[in-house]
Amino acid sequence: MSALRPILLVEDNPKDLELTLTALERSRLANDVVIARDGVEALDYLYCRGEHANRAPGHPAVVLLDLKLPRVDGLQVLEQVKKDADLKSIPVVMLTASREELDLVRSYKLGVNAYVVKPVGFKEFLDAVRDLGVFWAVLNEPPPGATDSNGNGRRPPE
Amino acid sequence: MSQAEATRIRDDLAACEREPIHAPGQIQPHGLLFFIDQTSEHILQASANAEAALGFPIRTIFGSPLNAALGVDLTFKDTLGEPGRGRYFRSIKLNSPEGPVSYHVLAHQHDGGIVVELEGIPADESELVDAYSPIEQFLTSRAEDGESAGLANIAAQVIRRVTSFDRVLVYRFDEAWNGTVIAEDRNERLPSYLGLSFPASDIPKQARELYKLNRIRLIADAGYSPVSIVPELNPLTNRPLDLTFSTLRSVSPIHLEYMQNMGTMASMSFSLLRDGELWGLISCHNSVPRQTSFQRRAACDILCQILSFQLASQERNREGQHLIFLQRVQSQLLRYMTESPRFIDGLLEHPDDLLVLTGSQGAAILFERECHLIGDTPAEDQVREIGRWLYEAGAEVFHTDCLAERWPKAESLRHVASGMLSVSISKLEGSYVLWFRPESVRAIVWGGEPDKAVSGDHRISPRKSFEAWKQIIQLHSTPWRSSEISAATELRNSMVGIVLRRAEEIAQLNSELERSNKELEAFSYSVSHDLRAPLRHIAGYADLLRESSETSLNDKAMRYLNTINESAEFAGTLVDNLLHFSRVGRARLDMMPINFDLLVREISRELDRDSGGRQIEWNISPLPTVEGDLVMLRTVWRNLLENAIKYTRDRPVATVEVGFEKKGREFVFFVRDNGTGFDMKYADKLFGVFQRLHRMEDYAGTGIGLANVRRIVARHGGRTWAAGELDKGATFYFSLPEKGISEAV
Repeated sequence: MSALRPILLVEDNPKDLELTLTALERSRLANDVVIARDGVEALDYLYCRGEHANRAPGHPAVVLLDLKLPRVDGLQVLEQVKKDADLKSIPVVMLTASREELDLVRSYKLGVNAYVVKPVGFKEFLDAVRDLGVFWAVLNEPPPGATDSNGNGRRPPE
Repeated sequence: MSQAEATRIRDDLAACEREPIHAPGQIQPHGLLFFIDQTSEHILQASANAEAALGFPIRTIFGSPLNAALGVDLTFKDTLGEPGRGRYFRSIKLNSPEGPVSYHVLAHQHDGGIVVELEGIPADESELVDAYSPIEQFLTSRAEDGESAGLANIAAQVIRRVTSFDRVLVYRFDEAWNGTVIAEDRNERLPSYLGLSFPASDIPKQARELYKLNRIRLIADAGYSPVSIVPELNPLTNRPLDLTFSTLRSVSPIHLEYMQNMGTMASMSFSLLRDGELWGLISCHNSVPRQTSFQRRAACDILCQILSFQLASQERNREGQHLIFLQRVQSQLLRYMTESPRFIDGLLEHPDDLLVLTGSQGAAILFERECHLIGDTPAEDQVREIGRWLYEAGAEVFHTDCLAERWPKAESLRHVASGMLSVSISKLEGSYVLWFRPESVRAIVWGGEPDKAVSGDHRISPRKSFEAWKQIIQLHSTPWRSSEISAATELRNSMVGIVLRRAEEIAQLNSELERSNKELEAFSYSVSHDLRAPLRHIAGYADLLRESSETSLNDKAMRYLNTINESAEFAGTLVDNLLHFSRVGRARLDMMPINFDLLVREISRELDRDSGGRQIEWNISPLPTVEGDLVMLRTVWRNLLENAIKYTRDRPVATVEVGFEKKGREFVFFVRDNGTGFDMKYADKLFGVFQRLHRMEDYAGTGIGLANVRRIVARHGGRTWAAGELDKGATFYFSLPEKGISEAV
């Protein structure tokens, strides 16, 4: 079975969603992409509850998290993930339009793994997403001993 | 005068002040004095003339009871008033060798015993003295004439009637104890002294002290020969007998000479006291010796006390009315000040009230670097100089009626500012309200030259001449009244209160400003987020469209798509720059010393690298180290140097000159290029946000670079400007304070 875990993309804006999905597609990543349209859905997925109660166990390879989201916003999701002993090893990349340094500082304080301001130019955006995907979804190995949501030790790659 | 006395008074007037006039050891000859033991009433001391009056050797009476010695039965026990307060007993007759002589008996307790004085009854003294009708006259007349001068005139008339002296003067003292005659009543035998002033030295300090204790002085005959008291010392104190409360006390020989020079052989004076302080004197003079009975003196004393009360209450009344008036003006001014957005405008809009508050002809307000002049004042720069002088002196309330005395430069301002009253509004800013009064040339008519002369033989001599001697007082204004000073002080308190309240309001405004700044920040945030998203979408979808239709689109359609893309990206850059610009305005400055020399050379190398092989001639003078925020000032230099490179791109060799000059307390830096320059007509547009002087296709850019420069420099307390000419290059300047600035909150 493939070791590639899915990418969780949290994005509310349909156009950004389409563009990001296109970019991910172009970057030829083999990972599945799970889409959450707001913070609540994202947390539901991570905690295997609600709509995702019956999903296959396991953490996503990376969470691409928009900052501004309906209901529960990106910073709140980040905070929840990073204070949860089980979830905190999941890499979270903030994907946002904002250059406001306050967000940056707050995100880093909450333990974000990377922070990317979406460039206006699509080419640059493509490059950024590709780099992100390669680094976080492919190269970045979870730390040894990290467990999945079932409480099982991580299985060695087959 | 004895040789010893002449020696004592030889030196100078200071000796006069030291003279123990209360214990001269002598009395005037028109009476007898006995000093007796309080309980046994045995005689301790007696005036030498008692021997002649009684007809037996004086040494025989010491130790005997007074009654026994005189052959009378006076009762002193339990009949004397409090110590020092004299009392009339009755008249007695003593059998002298020349026959019976009548005396009035007066006694008072003092110096450990009882001083008994026997005053000879003047020959022309009738049995009954009508002292009541003159007093009644005075009491009824005062209602008709309320002016103090009028009141004093009536008092002079009444007292002359009671005493039958040739001349009665009412003196009033000023703060320096110079006396001026404010009222007079006289006959033709003595000249008028009305309006004349007499220097303080005429009545030495210890005499004034004595006048407060004993309200009446009497000299019956200025040509008298003093009578010694024997034995010389009071056996109870071993000092000469204290005659403070005696009516027969002998006076200083200087005074007697002074009197004779004035042509007065008899004098009598009464103290006018106000709140226990000497306020004035009533002085009676006679051309020939004259003795005045106890009853007449007592009547005059009562009258003088009434006069004192009257004058004092009149003065208080006037002062009170003046205060009420000033308070009304003051509360008006306070209202004006609080109703004006700027409180000093409240004062400036009502100049008359401001002047009337202190009775001034001119006023000036120094506040927040402004200088406002009202009425007759020195010129603005002079007023500012006075302000600086006051600031150094540091007084909150200052007043003088002779500014030139305190600040010699004011001599040239005499016609507007001989007198000055000032109050500080704020310690920090050196702000003042000043009032000015012009010189008021006052003529003081002295009764003779005001300095007593010391004549050639070193003997002190009272003035020989009493011809009026006029002294002109210059460089003085009319003195400030205490009510005016306190009105100014209270105005100051009001202003300080307003300043404080305004400061609180400003603090509140600041916090509101802070809040709205925060809101603005939130706004910027959403602009950043919300505006960038659609731009990104436009760019993204345009790209996707181009990719998916590359084969089916013609060149024109492709160009359109590219333009859409470029425009969207440019708009994105604009948004980013704008946000950066607002951050420059908000971010805290991180001050540190910055070596501009290193910084500029480093940036120039960077620009050289990125210039694509252009030939750039750098001409950088050594630059100083300046205090500032490194990141921000780097932006300033980078912007200016980048511009220089950008606008010289048409030149085969670009020259960029960098230098500085120290002007006063600031550095002025410049960047000069040989580029395309600009028309000075548009110089003020250079530093505006999104202002451009060139077409976009000629020189790319969002037009925010110089706006950032100006903003950063301004935040460092400096200025920015530029000079140029089309096609002849441009020079951009900015200044920075030498010491850097501590950022205001």
